[in-house]
Amino acid sequence: MWRYIVRRLLWVVVVLLVVTSITYVVFFVMPSTDPAVTFAGKNPTPEQIEEVRHQFGLDKPVPVQYLTFIRHVFLGDQYGWPGLGFSYSTRSPVKDQFFGRVLVTAQLAFGAALIWLAIGIPIGIISAIRSRTFTDRASMGIALFFVAAPVFWLGLMGLWLFWYKLRWSPGTGYVGWDKSFTGWLSHMALPWIVLAMLYAAFYARMVRGNMIETMGQDYIRTARVKGLSERRVIFKHGLRASLTPVVTLIGLDLGALLGGAVITETVFNLQGIGQWAVNSVFQGDLPVVLAVTVVVAIAVTMMNLIVDIVYAYLDPRVRYN
Amino acid sequence: MGKRRQQVRLVGLALALALVAAACGGGGNEPSTSGQQAAPERGGVLRTAISDFGFTNGFDPTGEYVAVAIDLYGAMERTLMGYKHVAGPPGNQVVPDLASAPPEVSSDGLKYTFKLKPGVKWAPPLNRDVTSKDVAYAFQRINAAPLVAQYGFWYYGVIKGMNGKAKTADEPVSGIETPDNQTIIFNLEKPTGSFLYRLSMPAAAPIPQEVAKCFTKAGDYGRYVMSNASYMIQGADKLDISSCSAMKPISGFDPSKSLTLVRNPNYDQATDDTRSNFVDAITVTVDTNVDDIFSRIQAGDLDSSISDQPPKPVLQQYLTDAAKKPFLHSNSGDRTWYITMNWAVPPFDDLHVRKAANWVMDKAGILQAWGGTTFGDIASHNIPPIVLDDKLGPDYNPYPSEGNRGDEAKAKEEMKQSKYDTNKDGVCDAKECSNLVMINRNTPTFADSEAVVVSSLNKIGIKVKPRELASSAAYTTIQTVKNRIPIALNAGWGKDFADAVSFVVPLFDSRSIIPTGNTNYPLQGLTPDQAKTLGIPYPSGVTIPSVDADIDACQKIPAEQKDQSTQCYADIDKKLMEEDVPWVPYLWAKNITVTGNTVTKWEFDQFSGYLSFTQMAVNNKQPVPS
Repeated sequence: MWRYIVRRLLWVVVVLLVVTSITYVVFFVMPSTDPAVTFAGKNPTPEQIEEVRHQFGLDKPVPVQYLTFIRHVFLGDQYGWPGLGFSYSTRSPVKDQFFGRVLVTAQLAFGAALIWLAIGIPIGIISAIRSRTFTDRASMGIALFFVAAPVFWLGLMGLWLFWYKLRWSPGTGYVGWDKSFTGWLSHMALPWIVLAMLYAAFYARMVRGNMIETMGQDYIRTARVKGLSERRVIFKHGLRASLTPVVTLIGLDLGALLGGAVITETVFNLQGIGQWAVNSVFQGDLPVVLAVTVVVAIAVTMMNLIVDIVYAYLDPRVRYN
Repeated sequence: MGKRRQQVRLVGLALALALVAAACGGGGNEPSTSGQQAAPERGGVLRTAISDFGFTNGFDPTGEYVAVAIDLYGAMERTLMGYKHVAGPPGNQVVPDLASAPPEVSSDGLKYTFKLKPGVKWAPPLNRDVTSKDVAYAFQRINAAPLVAQYGFWYYGVIKGMNGKAKTADEPVSGIETPDNQTIIFNLEKPTGSFLYRLSMPAAAPIPQEVAKCFTKAGDYGRYVMSNASYMIQGADKLDISSCSAMKPISGFDPSKSLTLVRNPNYDQATDDTRSNFVDAITVTVDTNVDDIFSRIQAGDLDSSISDQPPKPVLQQYLTDAAKKPFLHSNSGDRTWYITMNWAVPPFDDLHVRKAANWVMDKAGILQAWGGTTFGDIASHNIPPIVLDDKLGPDYNPYPSEGNRGDEAKAKEEMKQSKYDTNKDGVCDAKECSNLVMINRNTPTFADSEAVVVSSLNKIGIKVKPRELASSAAYTTIQTVKNRIPIALNAGWGKDFADAVSFVVPLFDSRSIIPTGNTNYPLQGLTPDQAKTLGIPYPSGVTIPSVDADIDACQKIPAEQKDQSTQCYADIDKKLMEEDVPWVPYLWAKNITVTGNTVTKWEFDQFSGYLSFTQMAVNNKQPVPS
C-alpha cells in the first residue's frame, strides 16, 4: 500500500508539470492580453512598457520563466514557500491572498459536501427500499428538479426568499469564524444549502440506482435467507457496496469544488479562489492563474488518491499490493 | 405511514437545521423606498462596494491611473492645486488646495512659484508638517523609471529635468527648487497652459520620503500610502516606520477584498475649504457580483455604489418607480465612446468612407442599446462639451440626421465619391469593404450595440466581422499597431483632467503613436517613416493629415487665457470632425450611481467622475469598523 501511495504521489508531480506547462503555453501562444501593456497605464511610453515587462519577468524567454516558476513552487521564492509569485494586479505576493481564499473555498466545499451527503444518501436509500412508491417518486421528482435547476438561479432565488423577503439570511458576503461564529454560520448556510441541493439530488439518484441493483444481488438474498434483520441487510451488506461509486464521485466533486465553485462564490460574494481565478484570467494576471491551476491539480489528484485508498477499505476485492 | 412521515421529517429537519443557522444574525430593514433627508449630519460610515478595484499600479499614487483610485485619493491626498469635489463645471475648476494661493507665474510662463499652506500635516505615524520637499519627492518618483509613473507623460519634457529616465527616486529634478519648506518653484521647458491641471493629478501629491524610499518598484508603495488629507487608511497609524524591513502592509487595505478609510487625526479642517468630511469612515468592499451590490444597497447593507453601472433590470426599477428614482444619480462622466477607424487600413484610408460611416451611423439605436439617456447623451463631436466649455455649441453636429437615426441618403452620396464604390451607387463594392474585423467588448452594453453598428455600416456596403473580447484584451488588440485592426467599437476615453489637452495629445498627436500600448488608434498624423518603423504599410495615394502643430499652438496659450485655449482645442475638434474624420463618436457617457435611503447628502466629484467621498453624509449610525 505504501509503495502505491508513494508512486501515486510521484504521479501528482508529473500531473502538476503537465498542467502548468499547458497553462503556460495557453497563456503565451494564445494570449488574451499583454500584462505589460495592461499594467503600464493609459498612454504608456515604450520605455514604461519595457520596464513593466522587466519587473514582471516577462522579458525572459518563456521556457526560462516556466522553469523559474516551477523552481519557486518547489523551493520557494522571496515571499516564502511555496513560491507562488507576485500578483500583477494587486502588486502583492499571491501567497498572501491565496490561503485566505482557499480557506473560504474549502469551507464552502466541505460544508456543502456534508449537507449533500446528509441529504442525498438517506433519500437515495429510502427511495431504493421504497421503490416505486409515492415517497420514491416524490423524492426523485424533487431530485430531478434540483438536478435541472442551475445553481445561479437557485442562489438568486434563495437570496430573494431568505434574505430579501423573509430576512432569515444576513445576505451575501463572508464573515470569518474568528470574528463571529454565528456570523460565519449564517453567511455560509445559504451558499452551502444551494450548492448542496444540486449535488444532493445527483447523489440521491445515484445511491437509489446503485442500491436497487445491489439489493437484487444473490448475496443479499443469501443474507436474508440466513435470517439477518432487514436493517442489517441494508446497512451492512447493501449500502456498503452501493457507496463505492459515491466515494469516487465525492472525490472528484470535492477536488473540482476546491478549485473554486465560481458561480456560487460569485452569487454569494464569497471571496474564494474560483472567483479570483476568473477575474485574473480576464486581467491577464498570470501568477494568480498559475497558482490556482496548481492547487486545482493538486486537489483533484490528491482527492483521487484518497478515493483509491478508501476503495480498498470499502471493497474487499480491491488490493494495491 | 409512520416510517414515511419519519423520512419526510428527516429531510425537513436537515433543511430546517441549515436554515436556522441562516436565520442567526439575520434581520434588518426592508428595502429602501423613501427619499433622502435634507440635512446632512456628521458621523456614520459610508459603506460602498465595487466589483473590482482594477488598480493598474497597486494604488501607488505615483503610477496609478484608475479613476476609482483618483476618487479615493481625493479623500486622502492634497495636491498643490485641487478641486472642490462637486458636480458639474465647478467641479472641474482647479483651485488651490495644498497651495495657499494660485502660483506666481513669470511673464514668460516658464516659472511657477507656490507657497504651501501652513498647518497641513501628515497622518500618523508621521505626525509632521507637509513640506515642499515632499512635493518635490513626488516628482522625483514620477521621474524614476522603475516606478512606471503612468501619468508621467504630462510632466516629461514640460518640467526641466524630467524625462522619466532617472534610475531612482533619489535623484533630484533639476527644474524643481525648494528654497524653504513652504516654497516650491517649477521651471518649465516650454509654456504649458494646462500646467495647473497637471499639478492636480494624484501623482503630483506630496509623498514622504522616509516611507516611500523603501518602495523602489512600481506599485509597491500602494499598501503603505500615507495621507495628508481628511482620511487615511485604517491601521496606518500602526505602521512601524523605524526601518524598511519593519514596515508591514497597512491592515485597512487588501487590494483584492477591501479598503477602509478613517479620519486622519492630524487633519485641520481650517486649512481646507474643499472637503466637508461628514462621515467617520469609508468602506469599499470588493463584491464581484454587480447585481448583489445593488441588492445590498436596497437592503440597507450598503449606502452607495461607486463605479459599477446598474444592470438594465435594476436600472429599469429605479427609472420606473417614483419612490426609487431619487436614489438614482446620473452625471457626466466626461468621457466619449467612439468607433475608431484606422487610416492605414483600407477602406478607411478614404475620407469619404469615414464620412459616410459618420452619416449612416444610427446613434439613437446605439444609445437605446446602452439603456437610454440615463447612460449618456448622443455625441456629435469628439471632446465632451463639459471639457470644451461647450465652445462648439449645443447644436453643433456635422452629420445631423432625423432622430439621430443616421442619414442613409447622405451617407450614400458621400460613399459615391469614394474610390471603393466603383459603380457609384453609394454602396461600397470593393473587396476592401468586406470581412473587416471589428473589435468589440464582450460586455452586454457593447454586445447589444454591435448589431446596430453592423446594420448601419451594412447599408453603405461596409461588412464587418465583430470579434468580442474581454475589455483589456480588446484594448490590447487595438493598441498593438501591427495588428492593423480596421475598425473598433470598444474604444472610449475619459479626461485625465478638465483640459482638452488630455484628449487631443494621447488620442490624435502623431508623437503619441507607439508600437504597443498605442492610444492614437486611427493613427492620426502617421508619417511614412513612422509606418516603416512600426512595420506597417503606409496607405498609397494618401497623406494622413496631422494636427500636431495645432496641438502645440493650443498648448502654448497661457493658463490665464483659458477661454482662448479651450477655443483652440474646440477648433481642433471641429477640424477632426469635418476634415480628418478619424472616429465616429457616438456617446458622451454618464456615470450612474445608486444610493440607499441612508444617504442624507449626495455629491458627485466631477474631477474623478464618481461619488464625492468627502461631501457625502449618511445617517446609518454605523460604528467605525474595528
